[in-house]
Amino acid sequence: MKRNFVGYVVLAIALFLIALLRPYAFFYGVQRGSLYGLVALPLALILGIVGLLNLAHGEFLTLSLYMTYLLFTKWGMDPLVSPAVTVPLLLAFGFVVYKLVIERSLKTHHLNLLLLTFGVSIVMVESLNIWWTSRPRNIYVPYASTSVNIFGVYVGGYEFLYTIAVVLVLTGLLLFLKKTRLGQATYAVGQNPKGAAIVGINVKFVYAFVFSLAAGLVALAGALLSVRSSIFPQAGGPFTMKSFSLTAMAGLGNLPGIVLAGIVLGIAEEFVKSIPGYTGWADLVFFVVLIAAIVFRAFGRREG
Amino acid sequence: MKYFMIAIVCVLCFLLPFFVGAYLIHVLTSIMIFLSLALSWDMMLRTGQLSFGIAGFFGLGAYASIIAVDDFSIDPLWSILVAAGFAALIALALGWIVLRLREIYFAITTLALSSVFMIFARNLSDLTGGSAGKVLYESIFKGDSIKIYWLVLSVALTVILVSELFQRTRIRFAINAIRDDEIAAKCSGVNIFKYLLFVFVLTSAIQGAVGALYAQQYAFVEPESTFSANFLLLPMSMALVGGIYSSLGPIIGAVVLGLASEYLKLIMPYGHLIIYGLILVLTIMFLPRGIYGTVVNRIAAKR
Repeated sequence: MKRNFVGYVVLAIALFLIALLRPYAFFYGVQRGSLYGLVALPLALILGIVGLLNLAHGEFLTLSLYMTYLLFTKWGMDPLVSPAVTVPLLLAFGFVVYKLVIERSLKTHHLNLLLLTFGVSIVMVESLNIWWTSRPRNIYVPYASTSVNIFGVYVGGYEFLYTIAVVLVLTGLLLFLKKTRLGQATYAVGQNPKGAAIVGINVKFVYAFVFSLAAGLVALAGALLSVRSSIFPQAGGPFTMKSFSLTAMAGLGNLPGIVLAGIVLGIAEEFVKSIPGYTGWADLVFFVVLIAAIVFRAFGRREG
Repeated sequence: MKYFMIAIVCVLCFLLPFFVGAYLIHVLTSIMIFLSLALSWDMMLRTGQLSFGIAGFFGLGAYASIIAVDDFSIDPLWSILVAAGFAALIALALGWIVLRLREIYFAITTLALSSVFMIFARNLSDLTGGSAGKVLYESIFKGDSIKIYWLVLSVALTVILVSELFQRTRIRFAINAIRDDEIAAKCSGVNIFKYLLFVFVLTSAIQGAVGALYAQQYAFVEPESTFSANFLLLPMSMALVGGIYSSLGPIIGAVVLGLASEYLKLIMPYGHLIIYGLILVLTIMFLPRGIYGTVVNRIAAKR
């Protein structure tokens, strides 16, 4: 506990220094990091409770981006309203993928599940590629390009919605897991599926529910992201690995830690981007973080 | 008798260019490239570790070999060894860290590899030519496709031999024990970490060498196409369709899917990956043992 405290103090000082020295990197990083947290939370939920690493996670995000785009161009629906449609749609999609592909393989070797979700991700990317080609698409709404002035630093105002959303989603998830019957059942299944089944919890239902819920939450992130990102078949892919590296950093089951880890990753990436000539290396940061987390876990465990 | 048959098949494979046309030789060369990748992936899978790093080490080897020839004027043939050594070195450093946690951590780290190596290839432009890539003046053996066929065949046969050695020697028991139950294996005195690291380094070296072969054959590297997901998805599908945990399975899968993919190129000019993705999903769901495994089981059941 004491070591954790020292760690947090060091982290806080480092963040403060970055905020002071490179304010743009700091604010962009917080925004970017909130988005990472928003996307990583559902992945962590599935990983922590069903014990399944969904390698198609990022592709769920891509799918929701395309849905938002479609609603916007076909019916002129505002991207901030579209979650009312895309969340239920992705919930249903997640449920179908779970029932069709994943459920029947839950009992086999867990490597099969990794391979399966990997296959699903490829099929999704390529289907999008065939239907909508690889041409990037964009949604333009005027409010997405407003900027706000924070202590003399002008940054995009829209992106702070990510921060608001991630706080709301995190609070909602924690309340759900702690206060509702279904949430507690979900916890129980995560700890011991057999035991949960013995005390009368419908384990299959909980699995299906968590998987669909995660897909639905991704749709929320997708709607927010859609106006600030190009939409193309590989748009969501990198989020899978980034989300996993956040989960590795925070530790399984530590949902608030994921948001914090997301912000740290976001700031680190923006910091690297702000160094002239090193912009291209920013995408390497998550890998360094992942390896660092693995080293910390692998070698820290031996001490403990 | 069995060995005699195998020897005859090998000799026939070497003599094949004298009887068939250039197109078939080209197809066979590409099949054997993918066969070696599929087999090396399966060798790692036998230890219970799922590696998505095939495309990464393949591309790494390709770059290492092209750079070795272009900047250090090493003989193309030797550059393949250089590539294998380089891939092995990187795998050693990486495996030494990641194989302590294994499984999901290992799978995801190896999955990140091809994009990580791609970032290096893009940004170290003095060495790698950046996003434009690098082109050599001429391909290996001055582009003589029959000599290339022989070279690829020798590499493929070596990989098959290594895979068979794994299946027939003491290593096999250690590997199977680790896959089935790590704790039991540990209790029986198997040094899990050492074995996993050994297999990871060896299979990565194979993937690097195969990447070098491929790059030398076409005499160029370029980030997008060298680190293409093709070199991950196709070998994995081949091994799964043919049957994992054996030498013969991936070979069967490589021949079946390799021929099928040639046909696919004719009827479907782009977007093949969706077919391989579907094959991957459907095989795991409905034919988890693959063709070879299912046939072996049927025969065993009849006896």
